[in-house]
Amino acid sequence: MKTNDPMANTQTAQPPRWAGRLLSRLAAPETLEEVDGDLLEMYTYWLQTNGKRKANWRYILNVLKLLRPFAQRKRSKDYPKIYLFSHDMIKNYFKIALRNLVKSKTFSGINVVGLALGMACSLLIMLWIKDELSVDAFHANKQQLYRIYMREHFSGKVQGVIWTPGPLAEELKKSVPEIELTTPYEWASNETFSLGDKIHKQQTNAASADFFKMFSYKLLQGTAEAALKDRNSLAISRSMAERFFGSPEAAIGKAIRFDNRKDLLVTAVFENIGQNSTLKFDCLRSWENFAEDNDWAKGWDSTDPLTFFMIRKDADPVKVEAKIKHLLDKYNRDQGKPFKTQLAMQPFHEYYLNSNIKDAHMDGGRIEYVRLFSLVAVFILLIACINFMNLATARSAKRAKEVGVRKVVGAMRSMLVGQFMGEAILLTVFSIILAVLMVGLILPSFNVLTEKQITLPFGEPSFWGILAGLLLVTGFVAGSYPAFFLSSLSPVRILKGALKFDTKSAWLRQGLVVFQFGLSIILIVGMIIIYKQVDYVQHKNLGYDRENLIYFPMEGDLSKNYEVLHDELSQIPGVKQISHMTSSPASNGSGTEGISWTGADPNDKVRFTPVGIGYDFVKTMKLKLVGGRDFSKAFATDSTGFLINEAALKVIGYKDPIGKTLKWGDREGRIVGILKDFHFQSLHSTIRPLIAGLGARQPSGNVIIRIEAGKTVETLAEIEKICKKLNPKFPFTYLFTDQEYARQYQSEQVVSKLSNYFAFLAIFISCLGLFGLATYTAEQRTKEIGVRKVLGASVAGIVGLLSKDFLKLVGIAIVIASPLAWWLMDQWLQGFAYKIDIEWWMFALAGLLSVLIAVATISFQSIKTALVNPVKSLRSE
Amino acid sequence: MKRTFLGEFEEVVLLTVAILGEEAYGVTVTQELEQKTGRSVGFSTVHTTLQRMEEKGLLSSKMGGATAERGGRRKRFFTVTAFGRKALTEVKQVREELWNALPPQTLQLMGG
Repeated sequence: MKTNDPMANTQTAQPPRWAGRLLSRLAAPETLEEVDGDLLEMYTYWLQTNGKRKANWRYILNVLKLLRPFAQRKRSKDYPKIYLFSHDMIKNYFKIALRNLVKSKTFSGINVVGLALGMACSLLIMLWIKDELSVDAFHANKQQLYRIYMREHFSGKVQGVIWTPGPLAEELKKSVPEIELTTPYEWASNETFSLGDKIHKQQTNAASADFFKMFSYKLLQGTAEAALKDRNSLAISRSMAERFFGSPEAAIGKAIRFDNRKDLLVTAVFENIGQNSTLKFDCLRSWENFAEDNDWAKGWDSTDPLTFFMIRKDADPVKVEAKIKHLLDKYNRDQGKPFKTQLAMQPFHEYYLNSNIKDAHMDGGRIEYVRLFSLVAVFILLIACINFMNLATARSAKRAKEVGVRKVVGAMRSMLVGQFMGEAILLTVFSIILAVLMVGLILPSFNVLTEKQITLPFGEPSFWGILAGLLLVTGFVAGSYPAFFLSSLSPVRILKGALKFDTKSAWLRQGLVVFQFGLSIILIVGMIIIYKQVDYVQHKNLGYDRENLIYFPMEGDLSKNYEVLHDELSQIPGVKQISHMTSSPASNGSGTEGISWTGADPNDKVRFTPVGIGYDFVKTMKLKLVGGRDFSKAFATDSTGFLINEAALKVIGYKDPIGKTLKWGDREGRIVGILKDFHFQSLHSTIRPLIAGLGARQPSGNVIIRIEAGKTVETLAEIEKICKKLNPKFPFTYLFTDQEYARQYQSEQVVSKLSNYFAFLAIFISCLGLFGLATYTAEQRTKEIGVRKVLGASVAGIVGLLSKDFLKLVGIAIVIASPLAWWLMDQWLQGFAYKIDIEWWMFALAGLLSVLIAVATISFQSIKTALVNPVKSLRSE
Repeated sequence: MKRTFLGEFEEVVLLTVAILGEEAYGVTVTQELEQKTGRSVGFSTVHTTLQRMEEKGLLSSKMGGATAERGGRRKRFFTVTAFGRKALTEVKQVREELWNALPPQTLQLMGG
């Protein structure tokens, strides 16, 4: 509404409401009322003389000018200025601070130790996070590197898949001009290399000729251009070069025997790969060479390797993603079925921290631990700071006189704040020195636990920055409340004598204790739940028996002589069952889409996990059959038959499936048996459809052997003898299935251990604070307790009296923290397809623990006070 | 203690408060100033000046007189203190001494 008639709406017009609110929020409180009124009056006056718009404008302008920073009282210039930083005063500040520290040894001790523990913990976590974030940062082209993952329809849902078809890398380069370099990257396998009489297993991966041009691994010998150019080239690490040839220089250009089948030529030697790289390998052979041995790698049907690519510097990733999205559509990988799989990309530098798939996006993985631990670091530091605040305020009664005198002599409030802040920071300096010492002591074992090589980076300016930051933040957080509280006391009241603290500060103290214990309880609940989940994962019934199950790779001549091997191994008394399978029992990540059946939905892409198995597989693994039977030599038709698991049956949807036909590529066969679902991958993912065919004619992969419990050592020795006899060119290496299974949960294990330590630390620091507070209250109430004792109170009654207040606080903390903890841990558990339920007893246990610890802490002090002879405590009265 | 120094604006405001007598508060002082001196003064300036002079002891104040048009909020009435009166007269004296010190020819030149 616009009007220039000055008399319009003078009755109803109101000044802008927000300005009024701003005024009441931020203007000087002591003159607020009349200013508010005056401005309203002025507003009506302006309305009449200048019209609404001008009046509003003026009103706002005046409000802004009246806000506190602009309209502050000017200091009177009548008094001489006091120099805050005069030499004498600073000396005095230090003297007072040190005297106070020395005078109350318990308090200073609790503060310094508590803060130091908190800071050591935060520092450690910061170093760990820094290390986590620095992984893969050394690649010069890291801004241009991406990894491909696929989104495919899987029983009506879109799911992300990281395994890609082998030819995809070449195809990307051909069809997208922005993509400069590409490489498939085949997963690690332990291969046997030999040179003369030196035979060793080395972790081998395969990649294309572009690999070293994309990734900045330091080459000691050879060039990135030529490293994997030839079919027979091999890039090896420094340690492998030293192992076989004595030195990198000696290795270059030499031949080495691979798998006792072919000779490869060393074309490059790279520096050993440390913990700062996601991709780890002892040696790389060329992709062509790998595809030679594995026919499936040439086709579009099977998916196994990862695919990385590098875009041009000037390319727009969004456009590239749009281009590759439907790249696979032109591949009728399935004879006429419309193919719906889409391609998506993930920046390579996110790969390490975000390696999990949530629905159809790369999300989650180690990043969650980074977040979790950052939170823990903040928590623990906060708990330590709260200790400091509480103890300092509790003790402020003792320092009140000093404040009074200083004020009378003319100290400004800002100076007192500065003084107490300075003291807090001084104390923090002691703590931080202690903290750095602690971290130095803990780091070696911490590194063992987390499998890292973290050092205290004294040489880096950023580390000093972190230290200074930690110092200031901690100092300010810890010192702010006591400083402002103490400096606000009125000198008249203090020096009159009796200083009764108002309930406000007690409230705040109690609130802080609740907060502290709340945090500790969250950490304890977290600890319990993480422990239970890890325990659950370790002992879950997987659907097969992983105890006493060993497996070893069929290398060299073992595959040809499988029958002989089988027979000889059967002679060993400790061997119960023998079979073989193409993958390892505990993890199988390959997939194929080449399965067809009658009535299959052509639009629905389903990835089956294929596995080739030998006779007795079901018995050896101790699997359950839901229907049908295991393969048997009695039926000749079994050579083309299939075993499928329940998940696969659900997808296929056959009613009474036994005897119905399936096609795997062009191999047609009948379903022989239905396996009860078992976990052949980690519990992070749900059980996928599995299809097993008999690979008896040319066994490959691993021999799996069920061993009698308790005879492991002698049985293994026997097995080794036989393998050495049949396959002299290869070392005998075996793996325990249960150990391999446990290895998949290494990060969970580490987190579980760390969470124990952190929870313990948190509760310890909280109790330190509680101890201090209990000491303080006990001191305060010495006389009261004396009187009570004289009048006949029992020791137990007095202990109860003193503990009651604190236990109330812990109780409140339990009530508040439990739902929070529940929510947080529920988030964490989302990362598991198979997880424990959060139960009430976990919270009860956490609560009970904290109550017990709190009681132990408090009662120590209160018993001590309750036992004091009243004659002593009341002597002066 | 040396003589208080009054700023020019302070002096004008102080005078206005004295003129208004019983009715001197933020709004009236602002309006009076606008009418008497013809210059537009911001309310906030007047307010802070009044505050400052109270701090210096030139003015004293008391609360009272809430009306509906101010949303029921009370006013802060200012009165000039003895010290304020002394300051004003001192200023006036200084001015007069200076005027008296003017040579008469200059006055005539100035058209006075």
